Amino acid sequence: MSTPNDSPLPKRTIAPLFWLLFGAGGMLAALFGPALILATGVMIPFGWGLPQRFDSYANVLALARNPLGKLVLLAVIALLFWHAAERLFLTLKDMRAAPVWLLRWLTYGVAAVLTVVTLALLLAIGF
Amino acid sequence: MSESRPYLRAQPRHWWAHSPYRAYTIRELSGVALALYAAILLAGLASLARGPAAFETYRQFLASPLSLLIHLLLLAAAVWHMWTWFQILPKTMPKLVWRGRLIRQDVMSLTATVVAVVCSLLLLSLFILVGAYL
Repeated sequence: MSTPNDSPLPKRTIAPLFWLLFGAGGMLAALFGPALILATGVMIPFGWGLPQRFDSYANVLALARNPLGKLVLLAVIALLFWHAAERLFLTLKDMRAAPVWLLRWLTYGVAAVLTVVTLALLLAIGF
Repeated sequence: MSESRPYLRAQPRHWWAHSPYRAYTIRELSGVALALYAAILLAGLASLARGPAAFETYRQFLASPLSLLIHLLLLAAAVWHMWTWFQILPKTMPKLVWRGRLIRQDVMSLTATVVAVVCSLLLLSLFILVGAYL
């Protein structure tokens, strides 16, 4: 849908889409982030409270080959990137670090590329 | 061209590193730290796709002191993100009225933070439960 240039309505943009991804990533990180980092980065690698075989090749492969597991991995990885992209973009914009169009590419652009990479890897790992 | 020429107060170069903006900068960058965690997970996924040998190298990195230090810093950032995220929450959503009374913003923040802590504890319990059966 298009609005005429002299329309009193605010111009339509795709900003709410980025805002939605930012909010979803932020909420995901706020609810589960500390537990995820503690489990995958501290407890499992050192065997503190969780067995080290938790992230054995066979177990992680089984997770990445499960459709639901794929969805969880994609959601966690991609949404965190989109969340960070929004925050970094707005902060760098406020700092006037570079022209806005360049900042957009460096933040949203990188998040988009990494989302595609994640998706491609999940598909390459197979079902 | 616009005829108006509003007065723009000069701002020091590194204004974002000084109070009161510093807290804002730290909050935003704690959100950016989450991308580093996502990148670590993505690296794991990439090594998983390359095969068992590559994945074993990745696991050895995870078990290194450097990785532990990084993850402890990331954990601190994630906790700070959780705390500040729910401090912002009431300011970004409509007013909440319950039984004709306005719910105070600090009550909303506190409730949401407690819910988040419970969510993280439940996920950790799930991990421990799954770990016991693996």
